Amino acid sequence: MITDKLTATHNFLEELAKQAGKAAFMPTNEIGLALQYLEDKGIPNNKHEDYKYCNIEAILRKEFKTIAGKEIDLNIQDWMQKNKCADAYNICVVNGKLSSDPKDFPEGVSIVSINNAPTEHLHNHLAKYAPSNSDALIALNTAYADRGIFLHVTKSFKKPIVIHHINSSEGNLFFNVRNLLVIEKNAEAEITEFYHSSTQKYFTNNLTEVFVGENAHVNHTVIQNAGVASYLVNATKTHQHKQSIYTNSCFTFSGALVRNNLNTAIAAEFSETHLFGLFVTKGNQLVDNHTLVDHLKPNCQSNELYKGIVGGKSTAVFNGQIFVEKDAQKTNAYQSSKNILISDDATVNAKPELEIYANDVKCSHGTSTGKVDENALFYLKARGIGEESARKLLLQAFAHEVIDQLKNETIKERVSELFQESLQD
Amino acid sequence: MANEILEEHISNDYKYGFVTDIEADSAPVGLNEDIIKFISHKKNEPEWMLEFRLKAYRYWLTLEEPTWAHVKYPKLDFNNIIYYSAPKQKKTLNSLDEVDPELLKTFEKLGISLEEQKRLSGVESRIAVDAVIDSVSVKTTFKETLAEKGIIFCSFSEAVQEHPELIKKYMGMVVPYTDNFYGALNSAVFTDGSFCYIPKGVRCPMELSTYFRINASGTGQFERTLIVAEEDSYVSYLEGCTAPQRDENQLHAAIVEIVAHKNAEVKYSTVQNWYPGDKEGKGGIFNFVTKRGICLEDDSKISWTQVETGSAVTWKYPSVILKGNNSVGEFYSVAVTNNYQQADTGTKMIHIGKNTKSTIISKGISAGFSNNSYRGLVRIQKGATGARNFSQCDSLLMGDKCGAHTFPYIEIKDKTGVVEHEATTSKIGEDQLFYCKQRGIETEKAIGLIVNGYCKDVLNKLPMEFAVEAQKLLAVSLEGSVG
Repeated sequence: MITDKLTATHNFLEELAKQAGKAAFMPTNEIGLALQYLEDKGIPNNKHEDYKYCNIEAILRKEFKTIAGKEIDLNIQDWMQKNKCADAYNICVVNGKLSSDPKDFPEGVSIVSINNAPTEHLHNHLAKYAPSNSDALIALNTAYADRGIFLHVTKSFKKPIVIHHINSSEGNLFFNVRNLLVIEKNAEAEITEFYHSSTQKYFTNNLTEVFVGENAHVNHTVIQNAGVASYLVNATKTHQHKQSIYTNSCFTFSGALVRNNLNTAIAAEFSETHLFGLFVTKGNQLVDNHTLVDHLKPNCQSNELYKGIVGGKSTAVFNGQIFVEKDAQKTNAYQSSKNILISDDATVNAKPELEIYANDVKCSHGTSTGKVDENALFYLKARGIGEESARKLLLQAFAHEVIDQLKNETIKERVSELFQESLQD
Repeated sequence: MANEILEEHISNDYKYGFVTDIEADSAPVGLNEDIIKFISHKKNEPEWMLEFRLKAYRYWLTLEEPTWAHVKYPKLDFNNIIYYSAPKQKKTLNSLDEVDPELLKTFEKLGISLEEQKRLSGVESRIAVDAVIDSVSVKTTFKETLAEKGIIFCSFSEAVQEHPELIKKYMGMVVPYTDNFYGALNSAVFTDGSFCYIPKGVRCPMELSTYFRINASGTGQFERTLIVAEEDSYVSYLEGCTAPQRDENQLHAAIVEIVAHKNAEVKYSTVQNWYPGDKEGKGGIFNFVTKRGICLEDDSKISWTQVETGSAVTWKYPSVILKGNNSVGEFYSVAVTNNYQQADTGTKMIHIGKNTKSTIISKGISAGFSNNSYRGLVRIQKGATGARNFSQCDSLLMGDKCGAHTFPYIEIKDKTGVVEHEATTSKIGEDQLFYCKQRGIETEKAIGLIVNGYCKDVLNKLPMEFAVEAQKLLAVSLEGSVG
């Protein structure tokens, strides 16, 4: 049995190696490290603590026995007409590759394919925040990623940059996508990544490294609505410089598997990190949110709020880690995770963790899981609101704490609509 | 003068660190089937017991030492441990006069004078004690008084001889030998322990207590406690542990099993004060314990209270399986680590029955270079409708070289379940300290005061006699950790 599994992993890796395109952006020594790690550790299964509830190895073995298929051309103009966000800089990424030409972008923002990124930036940032031998999926990405984007922001923008991720393929494809976002000193940016729905089955192993420069402010919003047949592992590794503010809001509505690995290293003093999450699951979905806030230096703050509405036969996982290293005195770190179960067959697994090595800190976490409050429901019903509407109203109120903190109105509206849709049926 | 005070202070650190010079009857060093047969033979055990041990041993051989706990320690050499050590002259004892006087002195030093107990028999406020030294139960007090009520309270070996049907029925019911690495090891080599049986409808009139002590050098202690509470019964059970000061690390791997039948209640309290090692982290006990209870039938209740101040490494998760409907599980814990101590402790609450409730209150205090982790699991199985859990895990940090960690696992498969978990970490408030000092209370005392207040929720759950001891222990454990 064990050898079976090993062979399966081995075959998978071999096939992946055959399919991956030529990419020159990754240094060979990093690829070497990554391959070595994969060879030693293999693809993680439920015996690995970090993947306890998210057995990647089994999913690949069952759903992606063979990885074959082809990418299909898409008429970007038409697509954009229908789906672009108003009052924003829109950009299209098809199957992980940059498709539209961002010519209407102002000075101070540049987006290119990661294959064409300037060497100095690659040298300074690539594989620095996501060590190639720290996780099997990072290693997989490092070894085989052949596509992705490089976003460089040097000035402040209020208008959001919206990156539309679209899938256009058939068969069983596995994409390794590597992105790098560099937000330079004193810049302000509003970046939204939008995963659009597709009916095709595909697996994306996405890894984004984010550098937030000194005094930079970044609002990073991720909307995941990739369709019931899509499998997505989305790792975001952020590195924050002095006095920076990084806000990540992650909304998950559909996807057979969505695994988010969101790590933030607060590497310099007086910085702030805010992480928000909302997931609505149904059917046989598995949504696994792993977040880690690593306080490396003193006088920083972090705040985290994750909420979930879990229905159908779905499983939701939340694992929030807060690390406070020895040096990081005067840290304030808060974390809260709340879940509502709305069906008999749904499962929630939560694991909030605190690891603290400094003494002058204030850290807390709280997590609760339950059903819709009966008293609140009664209150509404007593006022003539039907059971179903009352229930929906309460779920909306529950979710809007996360949606309402979004600063940009266009994005907020879009998320709100998707949330309403996800409550249907 | 100053030196004298200092001396006194240092020697005060671990007042239980004496070695009693009792001749011991030991097994050869090492572990193999012959050793297990030797232990079984020594204890004059029936055939089925030996079979159980051998099965456990063979299973243990297939296991690997677990590494997931947040603790670091040198790898144990299981072949370098004496698995059986008994104080010599083990005849059936009828009265205390026959007990080795050296042994009696040990207990006097421990503050549980058996003499006194005997003298006080028939007087109010009594505790029945079963004392276990190294591997063997030495003396059980108040046996007759308890027997009148039908309560069986005796050493495990005695129970194997006299009540084999009960042992056969319940041993391994809650912690099967296949449970975990140390559980399997214990099942193979356990030497003694306590057995307690409360018959139907009986409320145990006194606190039952076991004192464990490792005495001989190079030995491990592997005891097994089994408590069975029949329908409508109640018992409160206390456990205390000490060991002499030694440079080497000694292993303590125990199993405690509790079975609560319909409407029964078991309250299990522990004050664990094994030798924690010296200020440089040398020596000390490795405390790897499996404790678990099962609320087998409706309306039963199991409550764990623990004050953990000792041991170099603690690895312990007293758990409750809530199988009966409306059953209740509780876990109250204070864990203190100082110097180089490491603790990874917590609980598991498994909700299976309907309307089951559990409460977890855990207070961790870390000082010096120590690491203190809470690790717990709350699981609500499908069908456990109306299950309710509340967990609170607070950590207090004293000094900037120590660590406090929380690893709660929460798994919910029923939509009517309500689970709440809260955790906080902070240091002693400067303003609280200032308030005390302003009123003429010196720093050390003020800290003791604040820590006791912080732990009050848990200490209140301890039986009176233990609560006083626990408060003193807290103060001693934290001596010198500030300023």
